[in-house]
Order: sequence, then structure tokens, then C-alpha cells
Amino acid sequence: MSAAVTLWSKHMTKFVRNSEESFGMLIQPVLWVVLFGIGMGSLLGGSMPGGEDFYITFMLPGIVALTASGGAIGGGSTWLKERTDGIVKEYLAAPVPRLSILLGNALSIVTKALLQSLVIVIVGVIIGASINPNPLSWLGGLVLITGFSLGFAGIALAFGSLTDNMGAYHALIMLFNLPILFLSNALYPLETMPTWMRIAAMINPTTYVVTGMRYLMIENAADIVNLDGIPLWLCFVVVIAFAFLGMLWGYRAFMRSLR
Amino acid sequence: MSEHKTNGLAVEAKGLVKRYTEEVLAVDGIDLDIAENTIYAMLGPNGAGKTTTFSMLTTLLEPTAGTAQVLGYDVVKQANDVRRQIGVTFQETVLDQELKGRQALDYHGRLYGMNKEQRSAKIAELLPLVELEEAADRLISTYSGGMKRRLELIRGLMTNPRVLFLDEPTLGLDPQSRARIGDYIVDLKDKQGLTVLLTTHYMDEAEVLADTVGIIDHGKILVEGTPKELVDGMGADVIVIQGSGEDKNFIERVNALPYTESVTNADGVIQIGVGSGSRRLVEIVTLANETGYQVDDISVSKPSLGDVFLQYTGRQFRD
Repeated sequence: MSAAVTLWSKHMTKFVRNSEESFGMLIQPVLWVVLFGIGMGSLLGGSMPGGEDFYITFMLPGIVALTASGGAIGGGSTWLKERTDGIVKEYLAAPVPRLSILLGNALSIVTKALLQSLVIVIVGVIIGASINPNPLSWLGGLVLITGFSLGFAGIALAFGSLTDNMGAYHALIMLFNLPILFLSNALYPLETMPTWMRIAAMINPTTYVVTGMRYLMIENAADIVNLDGIPLWLCFVVVIAFAFLGMLWGYRAFMRSLR
Repeated sequence: MSEHKTNGLAVEAKGLVKRYTEEVLAVDGIDLDIAENTIYAMLGPNGAGKTTTFSMLTTLLEPTAGTAQVLGYDVVKQANDVRRQIGVTFQETVLDQELKGRQALDYHGRLYGMNKEQRSAKIAELLPLVELEEAADRLISTYSGGMKRRLELIRGLMTNPRVLFLDEPTLGLDPQSRARIGDYIVDLKDKQGLTVLLTTHYMDEAEVLADTVGIIDHGKILVEGTPKELVDGMGADVIVIQGSGEDKNFIERVNALPYTESVTNADGVIQIGVGSGSRRLVEIVTLANETGYQVDDISVSKPSLGDVFLQYTGRQFRD
């Protein structure tokens, strides 16, 4: 475990030094919140219970999920680069469990994702999202985002272990990234979707992290927003299962790459 | 640490095999017996299997077949024990460019569970060894190639290893840096009692540094011995002929001469090992004329490890 912390702290040192990287990764989600939130908000505002600003509150969890998955994708490409550059060999030759090598990477991915999510939430609040200030809600949200980015980190690390080609990695990961947002209830309620899309959204973990965060972020959520009939406990169960399965897959792919 | 017995061998391998795919057999049954406190140099062309052998000995890759022990610890079953005993540098430069030299060493020590005092004491001890004290607090991205290599060398020493694996430690360096790294390596053996395994592209380096040289090609060790043994095996002198035309008859006739110790024809070069080369030149050129072989260039020299390499691998050694 101490090896995982060592790797985490090394990545953080590099992250702090590379402020362009951390800043650049935020541009896309901030644009989403600002442009899409405001644009769609004025389009849909009338039909929303809380008016124009409410759409920003409605879509904010989805953008947080996008930020977390984007962070994981960046982390996976860092991992791939460390593998092909041979930097991973330094860890492999050390007397540390292979699992802690993977965990150290996952930990730094999650830390970055949480920091970036916080920035997104703050931007959202500045442009008009209203968020439940209850600390328990924030704690619940933290668990959900952590679980979601952990699961995604596992997937990204798996892809980063399965291929040695950066182009192939990004092509593969893009296949995942866009549907993550669109095939979920992040931008529109499930009931507006055709059946096939609804089925896809129901098996997409993003739907559960988004729904869970709506429960927690919006005061009296059940009364004002369509929660697609998903109970809060199910959100936690799905997100935690996703975290576990994602990491398991990442670990297996990593072990296979060592043979 | 519990009492652990070794048989005086730093590395022992038996029938080591690595097959990547059906077609790619990288290492084809290698045996090694490397005594403690010696320097062993593995020489071979690119793709000969040197790096794969190192990867198995340093626990990065599992062998397809065969066994290997480092200081008596099995590289598969006791991989973590092996990892605690060895220091490794890789063929490619494996450094985080965005760290400072001192940080790279410090993180390495942390990875091995050294505490803060142990780490800073060891760093202070190692930096002067390779004259990097002044550069230690600069980003590695500002280092020259030689500085990076030296940093990697002492990173491998951070954890007090007993066996050091250096894959091409001087690749791409200028002669001055090469000589310096060579001196450090000999010092490590003489003064600190380390065992060093290295691969190199530089024949002269192997000749000067190594106690034992193994020539490897196609995943097999073709010959092994001290540099002197290998060179002496060629004969006192070696006559090197480049030419054209029918050489089969010529080589047969040369082979039949009483003073010929060895003849090889490889890569367009005929090497003849003889007792005293200059006295035999005229006779050999005459023989070539008689058999219709056209001699373009002929020279006599004391054999070098390069000639040994050519004899066993059938290839000239190129940097």
C-alpha cells in the first residue's frame, strides 16, 4: 500500500508542476457548463420547474461525470506512455505488489478528477446552479464521483495496458466517451428517449452517478425533478459495483501485459 | 532477514527459454553460472535475446521454460526476494523528465520502503560518486545524455543491491562518458563487492571491464570465457581476407595446412587463425591464386574480441 502512495505522490508532484495539463483538461467541461447549460437552459427553461437557471442545476451532474471520465482518459494515456517509455519497468523491478502499482495510478487519477469536479461545481454555481449545502449530501456526492472515476480509471488503465499504440488507445476510448454522456439521462430525462436508447441508458453507469447526484445536490429533488424512477440506494450500488468491476478489469489487463 | 544460503553464484540459470509467440523464440535455452563479485558482459547483435534474458533475470518477464536464481532466490517463486537484492538499469532511459534528479532518487528509495533518513544519507553518498551534486536539484529534462545515464546508475545503487544488471549502460554516450561509467563499474566490483551483469555494444568495453564474456546470438550463448581465453582461442594472429570468387576450394586447402588453427568464412570475410601471421602471408596468397580466389584485401593482426564475435555469430560487430 505504501508503494501506491509513493506513486500517487510522484504523480501529484508532476501534476502540480504541469499546471497547463491540469488547466487544459478543464477547458472542455467548463465550456460545456457555460455554453450548453446557458443555451439549452434558455431553450428549455420554460418547461423546467425552476426556470432557466434550473437546467444548469439539472445538467451539472452530467458534466461532472464527463469531467471525471475525461480525467480517467488522460490518466490512461499517461499510463500507456509510462509503459511504452519503460518507466513502468522501474516499478516492476521493485519489490512491490503489482496491484499497488495499478492502485497508485488509479489514486492519482481519482484525485485529479475530484479536484476538477470541484472546479466544475464552482463554475456551475457561479453561473446559477443552486446546490443543497447539506454536508451529508456533499459527502454522498464525493462517494459517487470517487466510485465513478475509479471505475473509469480501471477501464482507461485496461485500455492503456492492452495496446501499445497511443492512436489506437484514443480511438478506442472515444468510442466509450461520447456515449457515456449522450446515452444517459445526463442531458435529458429517460422518458423522452426511444426505447433502445432508454435501455442503453439504463445499463450506463453514468445514469446512476447522475441520478444519485441529483438526489443529493437538489433540495427536495423528488418533488421537482424527474429522477427516472431510480431509487437513491440503487445509484450507490451500481456506482460501487462499477468501481470494483472497472478496477478488476484494469488489473487483469495489466497482469496480462506482463506476460 | 532470514538466513539464506547461496553457493557462491550470483546468477544461476538452467535451460532458460522465452517464447513470445509461435514464431518468436527470443531466448532458446540459456545456462548461466555467474560467480559473485565478478563482472559478466553479454555481447550480441540486436535481437540476440540479451534484453529478454535480463528481463527474466530481473523478474520482469516469466520464463516459458527453465529456471533461474539470483543469489539463490528463484526469479519466479521468490521474485520479491530477488527484487530486494538487485539494482537494474534499462536499455532505454527510464527517467521521469519532470522530476528533479534528487526527487527521482528519493522516490526510488521510497518505492523500496527506505525511510527518510536512509534515503537522504544514501543520496548524499551516491551523488558525488557520479559528480551530480550540482545538478541534483535541477529538472532531469535539462540533463545531458551522459548525466541521465549516471543518474540511472546511482538510482540502481540506491537500495544497496548485491547484484547490478546494466542493459547497455553506455549506449549513445561519448567516449569520455563511457570511460567514466566503465571506471565506476569496476569500482563497484572492487570496492563494494558487487556482481555486475551488463550488455554492451562496445567490444573494447567488454574486453576491458569483464571478467567473463558471453557471446549470444539467436537466443543461445555460443561461447563463454574470459576475454583472454576467447581471444587466445583464435590463434596467436589472425589473417583477415576480403575477396571474391570461388572460395570453397581455397578454404579447404587452407584448412589442410598444418599451422592453421581456425578458419571461418562469414559475412564476406575469411578469418584464418595462425601461429605467426606475417610468415604465412605469402603462402596463403599463393594458395588463393592457385585456387582461383581473388584477394582484394589482406591483413594480419592480433585477434580481438571483435574477431571472436565474427567467428561465432557469423556477423561483423557493428556499433
